Amino acid sequence: MAYVLFTLSVLLVMGFVGFSSKPSPIYGGLALIVSGVVGCVIVLNCGGVYMGLVMFLVYLGGMMVVFGYTTAMAIEEYPETWGSGLEVLGGLLVGLMMEVVLVLWVLSLDETVVVSFSDTGDWVIFEGEGSGLIRGDSIGAGALYDYGRWLVVVAGWTLFVGVYIVIEIVRGN
Amino acid sequence: MTPTYMNIMLAFTISLLGMLTYRSHLVASLLCLEGMMMSLFIMATLTASNTHFPLANIMPIILLVFAACETAVGLALLISISNTYGLDYVHNLNLLQC
Repeated sequence: MAYVLFTLSVLLVMGFVGFSSKPSPIYGGLALIVSGVVGCVIVLNCGGVYMGLVMFLVYLGGMMVVFGYTTAMAIEEYPETWGSGLEVLGGLLVGLMMEVVLVLWVLSLDETVVVSFSDTGDWVIFEGEGSGLIRGDSIGAGALYDYGRWLVVVAGWTLFVGVYIVIEIVRGN
Repeated sequence: MTPTYMNIMLAFTISLLGMLTYRSHLVASLLCLEGMMMSLFIMATLTASNTHFPLANIMPIILLVFAACETAVGLALLISISNTYGLDYVHNLNLLQC
């Protein structure tokens, strides 16, 4: 279990090979969702509880759902999966083989795989009578609304303009 | 350069290669773009956690927000292509003719 972070990153690469070998997009979306789950677990392993939650909600719960039904609109009758045709299968096998060779080479180098990743743990504050407990990443992301308030205003305005752009593109002509 | 960082950068490169090569669908390249954004998010979050610099967690969140916006614009283009041509095949995009 000391190698769990490295194993998860290997699984992440394999998931990425799964949608980069370009099957039909509905299967690519499935591989992206699996990669997203693995990536979220990687983030959670390094102490980023809030960031993992944001990724799950916004990314997998929001954007992948939108991708799913947009792909369902523009799909052909017999979608092409990983086993149907040599191009996709060849790409997948080449990618997996490359990852296996790389992992074996790295593990044979006899360097420390695990030690550099220490988890942040919780930061304990001692404030007078009691003691509080904060997580580093949720406090850091909350600082977006404190130090970065102008960034929030600019990003909000940009997204508002972006929504108008999307409406104009879809309306066409 | 720990092997976990190497794997995440490798995932970014694989997605980049997937985005730059077209097969038949256009939305597959948009999916690879999403993969690139996700690997950047993971790498930035891991860096912010491991260097004990919580303020750097702002960057992945803003990156995710703008990646979502970019996805919306890409999907809107896809919808307008799909409304004109029926499917989003890349070889339908032949207005440029060169």
